[in-house]
Amino acid sequence: MSEQDPQVPAQEPPATGAPPPPAAQPAWTPQGPSGPRAGFGRRLVAALVDGLVLTVGFLVLFGIGAAISEGLGLFMVFVAIAGALAYYIVLEGGPTGQTLGKRALNIRVVDQNTGGPIGYGRGAIRLVARYLSQIPCYLGYLWMLWDKEKQTWHDKLSTSVVVPVEYYPVTR
Amino acid sequence: MRGLAGYEIPLDGADLRTASALLLGCAALRAAAPGELGVPCPLRELTGIPCPFCGMTTSVTATVELDPVEAVAANPGGPLLVLLALAILLGPARRLVVRSGLVYFALAALWLWELNRFSIL
Repeated sequence: MSEQDPQVPAQEPPATGAPPPPAAQPAWTPQGPSGPRAGFGRRLVAALVDGLVLTVGFLVLFGIGAAISEGLGLFMVFVAIAGALAYYIVLEGGPTGQTLGKRALNIRVVDQNTGGPIGYGRGAIRLVARYLSQIPCYLGYLWMLWDKEKQTWHDKLSTSVVVPVEYYPVTR
Repeated sequence: MRGLAGYEIPLDGADLRTASALLLGCAALRAAAPGELGVPCPLRELTGIPCPFCGMTTSVTATVELDPVEAVAANPGGPLLVLLALAILLGPARRLVVRSGLVYFALAALWLWELNRFSIL
């Protein structure tokens, strides 16, 4: 590992179909990713918020179902699992690209090439790819720490990037 | 040689400090907590084959508890990560650059170590 000269020359980022970052905030450097990216800390906290939301939802559904009957409790487990899957596909694949956690942390999922929404199909691919990222002790998540485009494995497999909303505002 | 060394990756200082604080915080919590908390490796649970990070929780905790022998035996990356995390948190906050080849070599070396430890090789 070596230290890099912090004085990087001013240079315009390549056009990736998304609005360029404001000139006053040097979030992009020629050696770094091709545009502003959400940092590890923000993504981690957003994931924890999503985990909390889904856990509470699961406990409420299961609690209500189990209080009525054992069979309904089991049914509610399947409802909760389906809901959790839909949560990621619909919210990350939708126009905003934001789950509740990402909305709280002001970050969103966008297409790597266009800067627009990834759509529900690739939202589903992203969800399945999450499990691949988790398999080798979450190596696929940590990958963003040293990846040039700050992408996890599920980002790469769905050709998406996670970006700060201040640079890629949600357009409705 | 450039092919083997790979490209330069500028590491984000804020990301590194977050990951370092998370690593050391979790290690301190695990060392202080009763029992042996940990997340099982999904790859090893599913297939029996360890991943490059298997034993890392044990290794990092043993390093924090100043037991280098157990740390290296579990995963030699643990002591290195703890030293790196301390350097990142206590050192001057500057931009760091690493060669991609070094990252891939380290991952391959750790995986070979773990495959040997679990008698797969």
